[in-house]
Amino acid sequence: MLDDMNKVVIKGGGAAGLRAASRLKRNGIDTVVIERESTLGGHLAQWDRLFPDGQKAKDVLDRLLSDINGVEVMTNHTITEIQRENDIFKIKLDDNTVIQADAVLDTTGFDIFKAEKKQEYGYGIYDRVITNAELESFFKTGSDRRIDNPKKIGFVHCVGSRDIKVGNTYCSKVCCATALKQACEMREAFPESEVYTFYMDLRMFGKGYEDLYLKAQQDYGVKCVRGRVSEVAEAKDGRLVIKAEDTLLGKPLKMTLDLLVLMCGMERKDGFIATKNGFVEQNITDEKGIFVAGTAIQPMTLPETIANADAAVLDIVEFLKRRK
Amino acid sequence: MMKTFDIFVIPFVVGMVFVLMFCLAALGRVILQMPHSDRRRLLVSLVTPQTFLRNIRDIFCDCLLHVKIWKRNPVLGFMHSAIAFGWFMIIVIGHIEVFVLQPFNDYNLSFAQDLGSKLYLPIFFRFFSPEAVSPTAKTLAFLMDFFLALILCGILTAFLKKIKSTIVGVKRITKFGFADSVIRIALWTIFPFRLAAETTQLMVFWWLYSLDLCLFMFLLPFTRYMHIPSEMLLILLRNAGIKSKSPRQGFALAEMYSCPGCGLCIDACPMSVDDEKSGMTSVYFIRNLRKNDPEKMREMAEVCLMCGKCVSVCPVAIQSCDLKMNLRKNESENLISDLSYLNKVDISENICEKGEKVLFFAGCMTHLTPRIIKSMKKIFEKAGERYEIMDSEGGICCGRPMLLAGKTDAAQAVIAKNTEMIRKSGARKLVVSCPICYRVFKEEYQLEDIEIQHHSQYIDEIISKGKLKLSRTKSRIVYHDPCELGRPFGIYDEPRHVVESCGVLVEAAQNRNMSVCCGGSLGSITMSKDKRDAVTDSSLANLMANHPDEIATACPLCLKTFAKKTDIQVNDIAELVAENCS
Repeated sequence: MLDDMNKVVIKGGGAAGLRAASRLKRNGIDTVVIERESTLGGHLAQWDRLFPDGQKAKDVLDRLLSDINGVEVMTNHTITEIQRENDIFKIKLDDNTVIQADAVLDTTGFDIFKAEKKQEYGYGIYDRVITNAELESFFKTGSDRRIDNPKKIGFVHCVGSRDIKVGNTYCSKVCCATALKQACEMREAFPESEVYTFYMDLRMFGKGYEDLYLKAQQDYGVKCVRGRVSEVAEAKDGRLVIKAEDTLLGKPLKMTLDLLVLMCGMERKDGFIATKNGFVEQNITDEKGIFVAGTAIQPMTLPETIANADAAVLDIVEFLKRRK
Repeated sequence: MMKTFDIFVIPFVVGMVFVLMFCLAALGRVILQMPHSDRRRLLVSLVTPQTFLRNIRDIFCDCLLHVKIWKRNPVLGFMHSAIAFGWFMIIVIGHIEVFVLQPFNDYNLSFAQDLGSKLYLPIFFRFFSPEAVSPTAKTLAFLMDFFLALILCGILTAFLKKIKSTIVGVKRITKFGFADSVIRIALWTIFPFRLAAETTQLMVFWWLYSLDLCLFMFLLPFTRYMHIPSEMLLILLRNAGIKSKSPRQGFALAEMYSCPGCGLCIDACPMSVDDEKSGMTSVYFIRNLRKNDPEKMREMAEVCLMCGKCVSVCPVAIQSCDLKMNLRKNESENLISDLSYLNKVDISENICEKGEKVLFFAGCMTHLTPRIIKSMKKIFEKAGERYEIMDSEGGICCGRPMLLAGKTDAAQAVIAKNTEMIRKSGARKLVVSCPICYRVFKEEYQLEDIEIQHHSQYIDEIISKGKLKLSRTKSRIVYHDPCELGRPFGIYDEPRHVVESCGVLVEAAQNRNMSVCCGGSLGSITMSKDKRDAVTDSSLANLMANHPDEIATACPLCLKTFAKKTDIQVNDIAELVAENCS
């Protein structure tokens, strides 16, 4: 239905990029995925299990990868320049290769908020403060010298999200459910431990999320405290003293912990990419022929990212058809 | 017998009498509104020889020669002293002329007429005695002409400043209202009229000269030119050690009258980076104080970052931050603070053990930047110092944020509690890493026998005593002077010594008492994040002027504020030292 000349370059081989590549391929469109890392999968490849029901991230990734069989993939490559000549994009890579394409799909996703920026939480200063991503890698590999049979564990929500002081006023959407998933997993890994989460509000909006919240409390005994942690100090024995406020009881709170996990949110160095219309043109940018999908637009959960990639493919297909 | 009266002198005499009466009344108001203790203080200072001499020197240097403005910018200094000193000399020599050349009183005049003629004769002398005959008269006439020419040069400079302010080193100039614009025209035309009258001897110019002086004097009390008589009073009050206790009364009234509206504070104010906000600077704040516009007064007092830069550039040294604080106090009077928690706080027992030790108070901001605490621990240990951290288990606030918000009572309660705990610890030295805390400890706490040091002073001291071994890197480090440390206490050199012993010190474009607020100041109650960000960006641009590799500061709040807006490394001086000591 589309002639062979059509070519789409996908910038970023994470969940959105892989999904879009497989859908474009199925529509008979020649597609190239450019990935700066040596492996595909983005953040998904770094994760162990997924909320709400603990499905293995690897299973989802394997499925996405098997769907792109036959699609050209260039790992260890970054795009240095995109030039438009009439309706053709000339995409220059870091090894000076130039690829010609009719459309570009940006699926460059997000960066995890740098926890050092919230110095008051002590990441990089105290040994026993780790991030959600590091905990996930502990689940994957089973080893992290900082996690030494902790008896009392705290999770801090909204690190770098909904925080005007770091300039990120949005909600990162995935951290609430991730925190409770990880809290349950810690209880499983260390049955003797007590686990506390410190939240502003718990945004359990998706299918099965609220059940995860109930399960965490009822079956895993996770204690959820509504209130932000204000500061973390190190006691003489190396344990962590945190100060927070229990806003339901209206009281300040001090607690000594063996491990503190920071739920770092999503951000992008130059900000999320604006689209033409947040309702009806969610994947179309102001630059004709350049599309965007996934968490490069705004924080999204994994199912949302995949649906969003599908929607972007539909826009691209229509765009290429109309061009003929 | 020469003629001693003409009808054209009447406008001048009426204006002069009006202005004298107004100033007398204003003086009465200032004195009466001051508390009794301040009036006593003034009286004592006026009869103390040292202060008397200082008063003379200050009035001469500040009001006439404008030494401070000369130091700032010679052209601007020339403009001010040409007009002020020139005018002063014309009045003085005018009186000498009358005294010398018309030595005997005219006994045909009544006392009132005689007094009246004493007022106007020096001003219009050339009308009544157009020809200078004797050598003395010629000399005096020459001096009069010389100073008149000087004033005219000053006015020409002022006119050029109005057209292009950068010739006097000023970017933004004050926007004036109607009365101020009219009186400026009056001032600028007085001396050309005088010149015209003296050279042509035409009645019309003598009339214009007199009428112009009359207009000037009638407008003077209601415009910025009130600073001419008021500044002298302000100098007397300040040298007596009096400070403002209210936003608009007593000493504050003298300060309000003394603002010349020069607008040097506009370029200095960090808010001016946003043109929209340059209307919030001290010159406009004081204008609104004079107008007694409660809404605007409050808005301006609350948005101010309290960095104190306007005070340090002010040629009249008006303490506008104090005025704003006084206003905030009045606004916050009725707010209630729940301080019941103070009863539950106490210093832990092991800190109170006997023996020489240094007590370290981190304070709230340093607790939010725990790298500094960690670094200070390392420094204390490397220096072999016996130390205790006063608030490691969670202390209480130093009180400064409450003071800045105008909540004096709450601040005093916190101050009393901290004082009690510090005394109980038995420490002889208190080290603080936050300039905000340092300021309140120095200014409000009664800790006479305990030495209070900012950590920059402490670290500088132990380095110079050879207690720390530091290795210098080649990194080029720019030092940012925190507002609460530099301008109030002049602590500029100690932190620089510390930086120099860790790397290569680089200076910012504006530094020391001209340092630009980081934008994070606790001083502002109402400034929005966007406006703060704009201030931070301009402060960072100032620091980056000489392309440093990293930024060092000595305030945890400056550190946090910069760190979120720049990719370049920002360290506290304690972190630098801890990294480089072995």
